[in-house]
Amino acid sequence: MKQPLNLNINGENRLMLVEPYYSLLDCLRDEAQLTGAKKGCDEGDCGACTVLMDGKPVTSCLVLAHSAHDAAITTIEGLAGVDGLSPVQKAFVEHGGLQCGFCIPGLIMSATGFLQDNPDPTEEDVRFAIGGNLCRCTGYQRVVEAVMAAAQEIRETR
Amino acid sequence: MTTQFKVLERNHPRVDAHDKVTGRAAYASDVYLPGMLACKLLPSTRNHARIVRLDISKAASHPGVRCVITGTDFPDIRYGSGALRDRYVMPREVVNFVGEPIAAVAADDEATAQEAIELIEVEYEDLPSVVNPLTAIGSDAATVHPELEEYEGYGFTLGHNVSTLLDADRGDVDQAFRDADVVVEDVYRSQGINQGFLEPMACVADVEANGRLVVYASTQGPYQIRAALAGVLEVPVSRIRVVPMELGGGFGAKLRLAFEAFPALLAMKTGRPVKLVNTREEVFTMNGPRLPVTNYIRSGVMRDGTITAREAYTIFDVGAYLGAGPNSGIGHGIGAYRVPNFRLRSYGVYTNKIYVGSYRASGVADMTFAVESHMDRIAHEIGMDPYDLRVKNALREGDVSVSGAVVPTNGLMETLEAIKEKIDWPRDLEDGHGVGLALCEWRSGSGPSTASISVNDDGTVSLLTGSVDISGSDTSLAAIAAEALGIPMDQVVVAKRDTDLAPYTGQSGGSRIVYSQGTAVQRAAEDTVQKLVALAAERLGVPEEALDCEDGRVYVMDNEPQGLTFAQLAAASITSRGGPIIGTASLSSMPYTPVFAAQAAEVKVDRKTGQVRLLRYIQAQDVGTPINPMAVEGQLDGGVVQGIGRALTEDQQFDPETGAVRNPSFASYLMPLAIDLPELENVLINVPAPDGPFGARAVAEPPGFGPPAAIANAVYDAVGVRIKELPLSGERVLSALNGQNADIDFDVDALRRAEGIAAD
Repeated sequence: MKQPLNLNINGENRLMLVEPYYSLLDCLRDEAQLTGAKKGCDEGDCGACTVLMDGKPVTSCLVLAHSAHDAAITTIEGLAGVDGLSPVQKAFVEHGGLQCGFCIPGLIMSATGFLQDNPDPTEEDVRFAIGGNLCRCTGYQRVVEAVMAAAQEIRETR
Repeated sequence: MTTQFKVLERNHPRVDAHDKVTGRAAYASDVYLPGMLACKLLPSTRNHARIVRLDISKAASHPGVRCVITGTDFPDIRYGSGALRDRYVMPREVVNFVGEPIAAVAADDEATAQEAIELIEVEYEDLPSVVNPLTAIGSDAATVHPELEEYEGYGFTLGHNVSTLLDADRGDVDQAFRDADVVVEDVYRSQGINQGFLEPMACVADVEANGRLVVYASTQGPYQIRAALAGVLEVPVSRIRVVPMELGGGFGAKLRLAFEAFPALLAMKTGRPVKLVNTREEVFTMNGPRLPVTNYIRSGVMRDGTITAREAYTIFDVGAYLGAGPNSGIGHGIGAYRVPNFRLRSYGVYTNKIYVGSYRASGVADMTFAVESHMDRIAHEIGMDPYDLRVKNALREGDVSVSGAVVPTNGLMETLEAIKEKIDWPRDLEDGHGVGLALCEWRSGSGPSTASISVNDDGTVSLLTGSVDISGSDTSLAAIAAEALGIPMDQVVVAKRDTDLAPYTGQSGGSRIVYSQGTAVQRAAEDTVQKLVALAAERLGVPEEALDCEDGRVYVMDNEPQGLTFAQLAAASITSRGGPIIGTASLSSMPYTPVFAAQAAEVKVDRKTGQVRLLRYIQAQDVGTPINPMAVEGQLDGGVVQGIGRALTEDQQFDPETGAVRNPSFASYLMPLAIDLPELENVLINVPAPDGPFGARAVAEPPGFGPPAAIANAVYDAVGVRIKELPLSGERVLSALNGQNADIDFDVDALRRAEGIAAD
């Protein structure tokens, strides 16, 4: 039986009717029509569904939608403002940190959450921060370069 | 990099980058249509059994269920992934592997569809089965396909479970072995490998009001899916439109028909859109991975290091069906070397496990592991440096490849020299540290390719090709068009396409898009320029020979200010005799162009745990002209990491009794994570290909070939044990360190006898 659920998604309050067994990921994709977060495994192994919940990266497939009631959710769709891409998004474009792109929303959300806490990371820090995100195309090399470049831009524009 | 080009050899962000970093790129699972039903599948629980009873009545009457189909709802037509038609799209009577889908449900939502799946009742009668290919090849093993010889496309009569036998011979191999100073013989085994694409198989099928079927697919081959669907559904090709959505990784797994026929038939029966998205477990258990390969390899060598003879017998487990066509391993039994006498055989052997699929140059990574480990064994046996042995025997321009084609100009030697310098070979390292080499070879992919370029009113162009972008190829094709037209990258629009819109083309696979499709784009651009020049000549009243085309403008060579821009020509074309300008090109095959790469690994082995830690990985590859260096390096990085996974951790395991996949999840099938890897080092060697767009070579396949052998050779260098079986897990290395490193049993004489060759 569907139950009411209030989420603040990308700054907008959304009241929805959602089945109690729905994951946050299914809720975002099927109910909120936000398909940026991807379902790569639905088991918490691949990280493609990563979103920010109250500022922290979570694998949304492992979060029950109703347990996120009243939480602030940021998805990949909420990163770019009217003035363009976020520093992390921009760095992924410029450094070629993406190929097929299926893992990219999750990687960008993991990196975005991480850089909020640690804008001056080492390369190893970055590798650990994205250690829960599988990518089969890039070998992570250019992903790591992009996150390091984004960190630098974030520091410089503070 | 200094360059003669205006667009090429410079880094260009992907044309689809903004869509992908903002979450807007739409993959097949992102398609939501009004009234759409969800599809779920029922997997077989047996690996070889007759379906005695399949009762769908409870499922069909379950609330919310709109349709249930089984094998007999499809036309009685066998199909195949290659020429051999050895399977039904859904089994009618007999199942051949655990996981094989035997029924499909369409319901209002996924949860209801899954409930219905669990209401389907099945009774099986077990049939004798065989799981191990080395057993299956013997005459007393159970038969996987009793009616094999009646199947359309079957061309071999060597054994009841042998689907294919490929061979290649040259010279007098037996005499060469008798004359050799040293004979070295090995057996290698490589493991099952999952392609590991992040986007599960997904498809939405819809039927238009006029009855035409529309399929939104996750595919590398939209035209091939269309043809296969037409076959299994008995629907004319013209009544099917395939829309390739953004592809979330395929690596060969999405080259052919997968599950698209199930939602398609359900959509045809219900008149509503039907969506099927595999779970990750279904990807692992229903969709063909690479299966284990056993490789017998023997070489005759002279004291000076000259390899004079090679024999290789390779057993490819193909599982229940020949899902990948005949394997491509055969041509790689001699590696990147000149070997005057050889006998190469590769067997495809049926077993009752999941069918074999394609993966990034199927079979070649297995062959390279064997050949390049064997090269180090030869070097060790004759007391020669492994690097020097490779240089001595490496193919040179003018040599004849296995296929009989002459090797054209290439950068093989440069790749070896670059690796030698970069890793500072030979190294004398402390115990537990080691370095290893591998040499890789592939060819630039060929096949049907088409392109069409139309000039827009503002002088920009729209580029239309039928190929799916699996590697950043849209960006490279745009760069090729821009270079050939003499306009900036941002003036080329890459059109979104489907099988109705775009001209027919081959699949995106085998490293063929930039090389072959890129050539079609280059020629289409040249055709466009030629038409622009002809129109300008007409309008300016000068002969075509007096004109040149540069920077989006056609002008008189002797009088540069006199000319017309592409925009002016586009406007003029509307009322011209020839009409609006479209340049086209079409080709079916391209000349043989090899791709060579040398790679080196540096490792540290923990003698207490057997754990292998990768400290450095370097690859040098002859990429010809790098169209978009950033994309080229991206392919090198991604490919080599797939190879590192194959070397160290990835291992698709099968139950020895039932053949069922034992580790169907990313938690149990271990692909490399960012934290597992060192910084990757690449050297691009640029010997332009004689053919191919602006001298480009294929790139994407060789990077993944080298790591298993390079790392195994490094482990040998580090701790003195030779591991001949993948992956090089801590457990396996530790066993070897403890002296428990048994050779792999393989009865090559039985295979030689089967074709009448006397055993030695």
